[in-house]
Amino acid sequence: MAADMPTTFLGWVMFIINQYGTALLQGAGVTLLLALFGTLIGCIIGLFVGIVQTIPVTDRTNSGFKFLNKIIQFIFAAYVEIFRGTPMIVQAMVVYYGSMAVFNIDMSAMVAGFLVVSVNTGAYMAETVRGGIISVDKGQTEAAMAIGMNHIQTMYTVVLPQALRNIMPQIGNNLIINIKDTSVLNVISVTELYFVSKSAAGVYYRYFEVFFVTCVIYFIMTFTASRILRYIEHRMAGSADYQLVNDPMADPTGIFPNNSNQGGKQ
Amino acid sequence: MNTTKNTPILSVRHLVKCFGQREILKDIDFSIDHGNVISIIGASGSGKSTMLRCINLLETPTSGEIIFEGKNILDISNNIPLYRTKVGMVFQSFNLFSNMSVLQNCMVSPVTVLKHPKKEARQTAMQYLEKVGMAQYINARPDQLSGGQKQRVAIARALAIKPQILLFDEPTSALDPQMVGEVLSVMSDLANEGLTMIIVTHEMAFARDVSNRVIYMADGVIVEDGTPQDIFGNPQNKKTQEFLARFTKNI
Ligand SMILES: Nc1ncnc2c1ncn2[C@@H]1O[C@H](COP(=O)(O)OP(=O)(O)OP(=O)(O)O)[C@@H](O)[C@H]1O
Ligand SMILES: [Mg+2]
Repeated sequence: MAADMPTTFLGWVMFIINQYGTALLQGAGVTLLLALFGTLIGCIIGLFVGIVQTIPVTDRTNSGFKFLNKIIQFIFAAYVEIFRGTPMIVQAMVVYYGSMAVFNIDMSAMVAGFLVVSVNTGAYMAETVRGGIISVDKGQTEAAMAIGMNHIQTMYTVVLPQALRNIMPQIGNNLIINIKDTSVLNVISVTELYFVSKSAAGVYYRYFEVFFVTCVIYFIMTFTASRILRYIEHRMAGSADYQLVNDPMADPTGIFPNNSNQGGKQ
Repeated sequence: MNTTKNTPILSVRHLVKCFGQREILKDIDFSIDHGNVISIIGASGSGKSTMLRCINLLETPTSGEIIFEGKNILDISNNIPLYRTKVGMVFQSFNLFSNMSVLQNCMVSPVTVLKHPKKEARQTAMQYLEKVGMAQYINARPDQLSGGQKQRVAIARALAIKPQILLFDEPTSALDPQMVGEVLSVMSDLANEGLTMIIVTHEMAFARDVSNRVIYMADGVIVEDGTPQDIFGNPQNKKTQEFLARFTKNI
């Protein structure tokens, strides 16, 4: 048996890929799944929290709502501070073992992992969204109000589309961070890429070779994500030019008559 | 309530606006009749913008009344967004929605606020874009237009909700000189068609030629209020005379 063992670095790498390639790819799949859905759900949480945190309170707001709003703002602020202020690796331990000890919920490691990544991302995204919303030019909201829109209409037609466009780079950043940082979930035995690598490395004590392969896989995932996000950002910016419409009344039913593939994209 | 020509469409009564301790508007009182065009002139910082912003409630007045269609719109029970669809506003900095095309800018309020069908909203928007000479540009985004073009689109956007009064806050002040004319000519057309307008402007020739009334403001009060002939030809107040002396060479 020992005679068949590889002797060079490259030999070991090939050997590891042969032996553990599938397992490592499965681990990478779990990592991607956690990162993608964790980021998605985190964004939804962040969007919700950020939107609620920017609800305007004016002299005209009724006092019952003001009180309720204060309580909600306190809870959201506490959520953001606590989850930003503690390491995800510790949150994973607390959620996984705490759910059992305190609430008697037997959560699978995977579910606990999803929960931790989502809630953690949500805390970061809440701040990002809030920043994105307040950075939209005040003139935009004033113009929306001046043509009769209420706060909700102003938010979903004018402010949020602009805020989202502006925070796309941060959303992408969060996704890339999550691809890497889901590795901490190995402490609760989620079978993501790092966990699988550690197990594989332990069998032949080839830590360097295995983690070299792991490193390459992580990089391929993050680099691909980064490129895709760039592309999406680029698409959101809209086309660089527009075409004049010579006969604007030609098709009064279409929004973009004559040349539907031209002009700005929302 | 009768709606003859002489009934004011909008009245501002004893309007006061304070920012903190500073009283920016002091007892402003005037009304505007149907189809009239009022130009508001005055030095920088005299409170012209603040007054206009109070009229469509972008600023909440500290005290006073704003009577529109016989009701004081400062009563808490009033539907402010609905009121704002009747009193439109054009800004110095255009404020076109940067996430929308020209056409979408003009359709968004009719569709989301007035709940007009898209087809109808589009026709109305096109009609006004045609009027301001921007119909060809419906696919452009605001950042692809010149200042004068942006302001004309902003006027079309304000007209698309068919307001009864249109407020302009220095609509040409952010424009290069060669673009001022195209915007002013759109505004003169609107005046000739009988749209009720309140225009804050530094364009004295325009104020003299297009408006039926000119109000001169200084330090948060209306110093003089009269016909363009009175204000420009025979100003009574010393402040008005001094202010206009600086502009007469431009007319
Ligand atoms: N939000 C605000 N908070 C505090 N002070 C303000 C605010 N907005 C305006 N002011 C003050 O109110 C005064 C009047 O401002 P306003 O913008 O109405 O002047 P204006 O006549 O429109 O001047 P301009 O011709 O330069 O546009 C100024 O002294 C300004 O500093
Ligand atoms: Mg001003």
